[in-house]
Amino acid sequence: MKKVSLLVMSMFLVASAFAADIDKAKAEGKANLYANITAIEPLMESFTSTQGVEGIYTRISTSKYLATVLTEHDAGKLQADVLQGPLPILQTLKDKGVLAPYRSPSAVGYPDWALADDTIVQFGIEYVAPIYNKELVKPADVPKRYEDLTDPKWRDKIVMPDPATHATTISWLVGLKESKVFASDEAWMAFVKGLAANKPMFVKSFSPTPAPVESGEKLIAISMPKYIITKAPAPLDWAHVSPLLGSPRGIALAAKAPHPNAARLFIDFWLSKNAMQMLADKVGEYVLAPGVFPPITGISDAKVLPIRELSDEEIASWGEKFKTIFYAK
Amino acid sequence: MIRKPTLTTTLITIVGFLTVCPVVMLLFGSFSEGFGSFGQFTTAKYIAAYTDPALLEILWNTVIFTFGSAALATGLALFLAYMNTRTNIPFKGLFGVISIVPMMIPHILFAVSWALLLNPSNGILNRLLMDVFQLSSAPFNVYSLGGMILVEGLLDLPIAYLIIAPAMSAFDIALEESSKVCGASTLRTLMRVTLPVLRPAILASAILVVVRSLASFAVPSVVGMPGRIYVLATHIYRSISTGFSADYGKAAALGMSALAASITLIYLYRYLTAESGKFVTISSRGFKPSLIDLKGKRYPFFAVVGLVSFVLIVLPVVVLFYTSLVPYSMVPSAKAFSMMSFKHWIDVLKDPISVLSLKNSLTLGVFGATLGVALAILIAYVIVKVRTPAAGILESLSFLSFSFPGIVIGVGFMWFFVRTPLYSTMWALLIGYIATYLPYGIRPLSSAFIQIHSHLEESSRVCGASSFQTLRKIVIPLLIPGIVSGWILMATMFLRELTLSVVLSRPGTEVLAVQILRYAEDGLWGKLSALGIIMIGISSTLVLGVTYLGRRFSRVEVVDR
Repeated sequence: MKKVSLLVMSMFLVASAFAADIDKAKAEGKANLYANITAIEPLMESFTSTQGVEGIYTRISTSKYLATVLTEHDAGKLQADVLQGPLPILQTLKDKGVLAPYRSPSAVGYPDWALADDTIVQFGIEYVAPIYNKELVKPADVPKRYEDLTDPKWRDKIVMPDPATHATTISWLVGLKESKVFASDEAWMAFVKGLAANKPMFVKSFSPTPAPVESGEKLIAISMPKYIITKAPAPLDWAHVSPLLGSPRGIALAAKAPHPNAARLFIDFWLSKNAMQMLADKVGEYVLAPGVFPPITGISDAKVLPIRELSDEEIASWGEKFKTIFYAK
Repeated sequence: MIRKPTLTTTLITIVGFLTVCPVVMLLFGSFSEGFGSFGQFTTAKYIAAYTDPALLEILWNTVIFTFGSAALATGLALFLAYMNTRTNIPFKGLFGVISIVPMMIPHILFAVSWALLLNPSNGILNRLLMDVFQLSSAPFNVYSLGGMILVEGLLDLPIAYLIIAPAMSAFDIALEESSKVCGASTLRTLMRVTLPVLRPAILASAILVVVRSLASFAVPSVVGMPGRIYVLATHIYRSISTGFSADYGKAAALGMSALAASITLIYLYRYLTAESGKFVTISSRGFKPSLIDLKGKRYPFFAVVGLVSFVLIVLPVVVLFYTSLVPYSMVPSAKAFSMMSFKHWIDVLKDPISVLSLKNSLTLGVFGATLGVALAILIAYVIVKVRTPAAGILESLSFLSFSFPGIVIGVGFMWFFVRTPLYSTMWALLIGYIATYLPYGIRPLSSAFIQIHSHLEESSRVCGASSFQTLRKIVIPLLIPGIVSGWILMATMFLRELTLSVVLSRPGTEVLAVQILRYAEDGLWGKLSALGIIMIGISSTLVLGVTYLGRRFSRVEVVDR
């Protein structure tokens, strides 16, 4: 542990030497962020007004993110200064030489594991939890453990992303096994099969999951608690199961950033406590800045863990296994 | 003077450049290792794509889905177009506009509206029917192959209507009169004369709907996935979404089968309409389409058309409007009505990106459709009047980008444009739109061209006019209904275009699709619905404007008999 701390500190000191030069950043004029994250316009506006450098948000769907960035990079036309996305995507971009090392001074206090890489800083976890319609589900019926989702009373009343194809959902199911949330692998498999037996309705990703719960078409969604904030005043709440798991989100500097100083300034701003507080307050994100939590009841006390990064081969292989379970006729 | 071979060659070059480049990039990508379009050669992506045991069932679902949608859209369009153009049914102008409303709505929204109406748990229509008829379970389940066909068929109704209606309105009275003189009833005349003569338009419409539904993603994802029914487009999506490194090469390999199916259909269409002389209805002799007097059946027919239009088209739009007023997804109730406000509308109109994207989309819609129709007139002319093997190639080329599944073709354009200075400019969007949706201009125009006899052009030339003058002074005025249809199809498509825009649009060149995608990805259906209604408003204004202009300039007179 001591060695890790020493390593992190030395990396921090070396990288800090290249921290953002505000005057140069202002001369460059703008910083372009490539990401796919909900409702961060207030953050971009805040960056522009407080730092004097224009923040530009280029939103690219997750399914097209890698194809777009690599195509632009290979053609020498990558316009991104800063890239932000799920950790596995950033890891691939790092391997392809798209990213450059940068350790922001704003990352002080973040968990060690979030700073273990010299290039990618993990700043949040896309935490997954059951959310439910609090007008239609009685408090006594709200699931308290993951196993409660397998109760036959929820048959035809659950909506979730397709567990055969949706990468984050596949990773989440595997994460429940690997994080030893259940007493044994058999208990975990019983949970998966029990969930499948309740015939959940499948949608393509997390974003279409809250709507059927809001309208009462379904009662529970395997979804994200952040929707309690972004979909307010919809009658949504989350089932306090423990622990909560999710894929880490990272941010990194582009190796050939057209505005390198503005890019560093942007990362410093993004990782600052103020920006992270805005992200938690406005978007309901679970962030890793110390002491910052989204304003959702119970989240500050919840145990939220990052899921191990699965390779695409593992995701495909698990997807096939879940397909045989969830699509069994 | 324009010489036909030169015109054909020039058009092949232009259309080839527009449509072949992205498809060739996808072809390279499908044979390349890695994520790009120029990697080490491999056939692994094809092997992986086509040895999937699930593929057979998916292809079968795809056939039922596409042909079912085509049958529904074409059948409904025939009925509505016949009522609208050939009878004296009241309020026909209104039904004309209603028939093309689905063209103006972002498909994802229309699909979500139908899910709200017909989902088996608490669908509004299902609940109503259960209450009225005391049923114990929901009578309809939209999450089924039938539901998918219903929604896709309705979404593609405008394509079918805008191809069939001009052909129907340019119908030679002499043919029907001869039939009636020989003692045939109106129904028999319709079945034995009118419909057979309209064969090119009917086939054109059916083929276009098959190709479009093959490439469609919104309905299969919103309606099909919850019912666990997969078609080619959602299968392709699965292949790129399982894992974080989306492999568009493999998706392109799967998309090649859609392309092959589309090209086969086009050649089939050319074969079935080979004797184009049979379908000529505007010759040099007196051409006056006639109106059929429905007499006492005017109002019963009006009630039928009204009900069909209301349930199938108006109701989902009403649901959309309702969704734009409630704070979150709610079934109608006293509470829902008490919470209604214009908050979503205000948010949308105050958002600077929404305003910019409205401006950009309107520019692309008007400018792009005008350019696209101009190009389509020339292409349709060559396809119909020249009919050489080169014309067949031109027709197939025009369908290349169009028939590729939407989620893949955008990446093909990106791989192409990134090698040009046009990348991330409005020009890339303009060229991409025209290249992809060229068939929307060509199909109504070629159906219209087929009906114009070459005697008219020959007479003009005998009187000393050049080919260009003949085209401008004789042919184009007779083509006005086709031009109007093509322009409407292209402009409304460009206004709500999603598949290319999400890949090619960048800050500054945002279009409505960018906003639509943002709202959809964030699940903000209220704002999405408000923006959808604004889009319908803009498109309706354009449609009414261009229809009015078309009527003013058209030399086709419809006489009431």
